[in-house]
Amino acid sequence: MVDENTPKISVRGLYKIFGDAPGSVLDLVRDGIGKAELQAETGHVLGLNDINVDMPRGKTTVIMGLSGSGKSTLIRHLNRLIEPTAGEVWVDGENILEYRQGKLRELRQKRMSMVFQKFALLPHRTVLENAGLAPAVSGKSRRQYAEEATKWLDRVGLEGQGGQYPAQLSGGMQQRVGIARALTSNSDIMLMDEAFSALDPLIRTDMQNLLIDLQEELQKTVVFITHDLDEALKLADHLVILKDGYVVQQGEPQEILLNPNDPYIEDFVADINRARVLRVRSVMEETRDDPGEVAGEVDHDDTLESVIAKSGGDTTKRYRVTEDGRLVGVLHMRALVRALVPSSRDDAPAMADA
Amino acid sequence: MATYDFLFDSLGLREWCGDEGGGITSMADLMSEATGEEQVVSAWDTPFPSLDALHDACAAIPQSRDVTLGLENGFLDIKDSLKVVVDPITQPLSWALENALWLMQSVPWWIMIPALMLIVYLVGRSFKLVGLVAAAFGFLAFIDYYDYTMQTLAIIFVCAVICVVLGVPIGIAMSRSDRVQRAIIPILDMLQTLPPFVYLIPLIFLFSVTEPKLYGIAIILYAIVPVVRLTDLGIRLVDKDVIEAADAFGMTKRQKLYGVQIPLALPNIMAGVNQTIMMSLAMVVIASLVSAPGLGVLVLRGIRNLELGVGLLSGLGIVLLAIILDRVTKAALARINAQQKS
Repeated sequence: MVDENTPKISVRGLYKIFGDAPGSVLDLVRDGIGKAELQAETGHVLGLNDINVDMPRGKTTVIMGLSGSGKSTLIRHLNRLIEPTAGEVWVDGENILEYRQGKLRELRQKRMSMVFQKFALLPHRTVLENAGLAPAVSGKSRRQYAEEATKWLDRVGLEGQGGQYPAQLSGGMQQRVGIARALTSNSDIMLMDEAFSALDPLIRTDMQNLLIDLQEELQKTVVFITHDLDEALKLADHLVILKDGYVVQQGEPQEILLNPNDPYIEDFVADINRARVLRVRSVMEETRDDPGEVAGEVDHDDTLESVIAKSGGDTTKRYRVTEDGRLVGVLHMRALVRALVPSSRDDAPAMADA
Repeated sequence: MATYDFLFDSLGLREWCGDEGGGITSMADLMSEATGEEQVVSAWDTPFPSLDALHDACAAIPQSRDVTLGLENGFLDIKDSLKVVVDPITQPLSWALENALWLMQSVPWWIMIPALMLIVYLVGRSFKLVGLVAAAFGFLAFIDYYDYTMQTLAIIFVCAVICVVLGVPIGIAMSRSDRVQRAIIPILDMLQTLPPFVYLIPLIFLFSVTEPKLYGIAIILYAIVPVVRLTDLGIRLVDKDVIEAADAFGMTKRQKLYGVQIPLALPNIMAGVNQTIMMSLAMVVIASLVSAPGLGVLVLRGIRNLELGVGLLSGLGIVLLAIILDRVTKAALARINAQQKS
């Protein structure tokens, strides 16, 4: 159970059908009826269709999809704000769908916290009281949780704001309170439901960086929902792409970007600034041998954008790629440039020839 | 002969109707008796087949006055058993009203008026409001209406408090279940539309007119509606996202109710309390018909004895009380709003 490699959260065969008698149409769904057909024939809406996802411990799993893809429904199954029609959700080796009310509340208070798109702070409580919601719910007095809550408020950049009311803060600051509230619960798992979608672009970038910093420091298991691919690629260790309630593709984000397996994802990926998202490690040629003559050295985690800047646009150059100072490969600028153009099925053979 | 004779004849019910031995029962019978000729009813004047018209044709059909009489007798029959149940339940209301009336009148004015001013300040935090209250009570005391005003206030306090104590839980129950809501809304509609005089009548039968709970119940029934409705509405309007957050952090139902729903519904609940107080004031005037003391008695005197001056002045007193009660509750509401919105 404490094994590093077992997933923290495991979703198995999860179905969610909205309607009057979801159980009665479950077999139809299992037999592969489409979302539109199901709605036309039975009046039931297919929310989630056979979801199987492992969310790695201490990493950020991003679930991405457009509105209506079922991503918000999925995240609400992880703490059972929504009950599934069928399936299992394993957390730390326990199927939480077997939990009774008391155990479920304990899970929500101590082991999982949640950050919401619309912040969902309690308007009649101060920032400090909001941040301390989780300990307050489990019966701690204000004096007992004040220190912990203040610590996390300071950490997310809200020094000295504890006495304010949420409405006195800007949107970005309110969401910082939301994050502090999740952190104060000291839970291992943080569920973030479109946490940054309601914020201005600049503030959103700030918040993403804050989350990345926090992750480096705390290594929580984060489940992050977004409809924004840039955000997904920036934050994800593991990316799950949902469409119409089923998983289209999941895996390492760079991998998905370079090898989309579905036209839906290709469309998604087409508009991305690949130079900023792709890393050297995804396009380098792996080798331990000394490549000989090179133009310089780059880190395996550098973005292609930074390498292009370094090379001055010269496509004939080659770079040594290092990881913690060790040689791990060679980066050909030609390969880099090729990776900047989205691959499509037509020119895949041509790539193989080259 | 009556218009609908043919009906019973054709149905062969004449036997069942019995003899026409009912004697002379209507003006028409009397006329025909007097003139000695049969009254012919033209098609234009055909009466609706009402109970009375049918009774003319067939004695076995009851007259409509028998129906009202039956209702009355039925009520009188269950009255005693009803009293056994209702009397003890409502007895505390009588005590509360008696004690409140006694308290408000026995405390000397030079304590009472400053005390009221202090309460107003604590609720509203506004010196302007306190000034208004002092001026209004000063004026009413100056024209020797002080006792009446205090009686009215005492009744309103007791009734409004009971309305809130009963109404808020009912509103909460309604907000939690659509079934309860569907069951209670027609009752609230009825209470709100039924003319207050109508439910005074059975109350008079049930209790003696000297008992304060008689008018207490009438006022409460009339005034409880807004606080119930607005509590229900307020809790239903609480932001779904905030409720979801409360769930996501593992709040129990009770924690959610007291920690989230009621505080966030408070502006609406307070608006309901404001309305409830205003409606109890309206009803306390009508309730003076059934011995409620206070300014209403003066209004009644003005009507009965055509004392125009008394009627106008006591009306002015009621308006002053209404303004004060409204302003003070609204000031409290504004403070709650300011706290949540600022």
